[in-house]
Amino acid sequence: MVEKRKSALVLIGHGSTLNPDSSAPTFQHADEISRRELFAEVYCGFWKEEPSLREILRMVESDDIYVVPNFISEGYFTETIIPRELELTGPVTRRSGKTIKYCEPVGNDPRMIDLLLHRAREAAPNVPPDKASLLIVGHGTNLNQKSAEAAQHQVAVIRKKRLYAEVSEAYMEEAPFIADWRKNTSQSHVVVVPFFIADGLHSYQDIPVLLGIESAPTAAASQQEVFRRNPYFLYGKELYYASAIGTEPLMADVILDTVERYDRKHLYDAAA
Amino acid sequence: MISDELARLVREGYNALGELEFTVSSSGYRLYHCADRDSLSEAQVYHSAEDARQIARYDASGAYRALKGAPNLPRRWILELANINDLKRALDYFYPGAIATWLAYREGKVQPVCLRQTLNRQTGMYRVTRKLTDDQAQILVKETCCSNGRCLRTILWGIELEHPPDFLPSSKSDPAIDQTGQRRAALPFLCLEACNLLVAAARTTVKKSSR
Repeated sequence: MVEKRKSALVLIGHGSTLNPDSSAPTFQHADEISRRELFAEVYCGFWKEEPSLREILRMVESDDIYVVPNFISEGYFTETIIPRELELTGPVTRRSGKTIKYCEPVGNDPRMIDLLLHRAREAAPNVPPDKASLLIVGHGTNLNQKSAEAAQHQVAVIRKKRLYAEVSEAYMEEAPFIADWRKNTSQSHVVVVPFFIADGLHSYQDIPVLLGIESAPTAAASQQEVFRRNPYFLYGKELYYASAIGTEPLMADVILDTVERYDRKHLYDAAA
Repeated sequence: MISDELARLVREGYNALGELEFTVSSSGYRLYHCADRDSLSEAQVYHSAEDARQIARYDASGAYRALKGAPNLPRRWILELANINDLKRALDYFYPGAIATWLAYREGKVQPVCLRQTLNRQTGMYRVTRKLTDDQAQILVKETCCSNGRCLRTILWGIELEHPPDFLPSSKSDPAIDQTGQRRAALPFLCLEACNLLVAAARTTVKKSSR
């Protein structure tokens, strides 16, 4: 059990200027960790919302600070944006008497595999996995290859478990593209799980449009509706669409595990 | 401690921040919208600092408030808070980091960052914002950040390094002035650096002008 009564935990999320659901899971997990009273302080900071990455560390009073990116993978945000905006120099940054410990993104946690499988079962409870294609959907970006690599890793591990007849990956911004899901899945049942940290415009609108289960992006406020209409019958297949895995309550434990993993890996660096 | 300093400031008579006002009450601290000052009996009472996050999320029309400094907080609520830590937390949900930023600035621990520095460090889709001209920047900031309808923060940064924001009305860059125009004993609500919304607006301006 992580217990850091003299340390602060700062969760970093993407946030959105359009959609309050984007930051909701980050706040939800921070609230849960606050309730457990394991840290002296727990804060959330965001790229697109307030408190911003530029102001969040000013709010923290502890001298020992764990920064955990609530991001699904290593990539552009964890390697470029967050270190730049927080002025971090590496896994350990010392500044004005404070030690800032920069942890891995939560998506690196081994338990993400279980969360993905749990989400898939939830979305399609009556579909036998050995007769289904599981499609893990990631963002993918040409700005950084690691975004896709994280999804590829999940796919490789789940494939080895031999639970599903087929396990594939697809991306919004790089090949294999989500829009090609029909030709890239062989089974008549297809379960799609977004490997995303929050439900937002991507999971409510962009991915459903790419899958063909929504005709055009809409401003419909009742966004959760898209997950409640399973299954979708398309091209002779039954498609089941799950919500983003980052909204799982278990993510609070994944965040705490991420802090523990940091300590195991950087004990010597941080103490030096 | 930030809470201790906030308690001291409240005792000194500071009782406002942005659209908010607060007083010491029999049970701790009372926080409310300044426009409800004379009609608090009609307001819905809440007791948790975390309720502030929900109140601050949408404006009266139900639109998402992405910019927390916008003068469009909904009305008709009161937060009855047990102690100074709860008041601090609630203020941080309404105006994230405002108190910490003011204290750090007052103690000389942080300095304003000029717009040019902010834009020049952008990458990815925002890299293009470094093409924003000074003239475009001045127009953009005047429109996007004005206290009358857009953002209540006091701007301390200029466009270029070591240039004050003298293209703005002097009141917009004076921490002593209450940006709501009510001349209350308000805690300064500072802007030390352009926010992501302004950077995004700069991108739109540059994209439009390059078409």
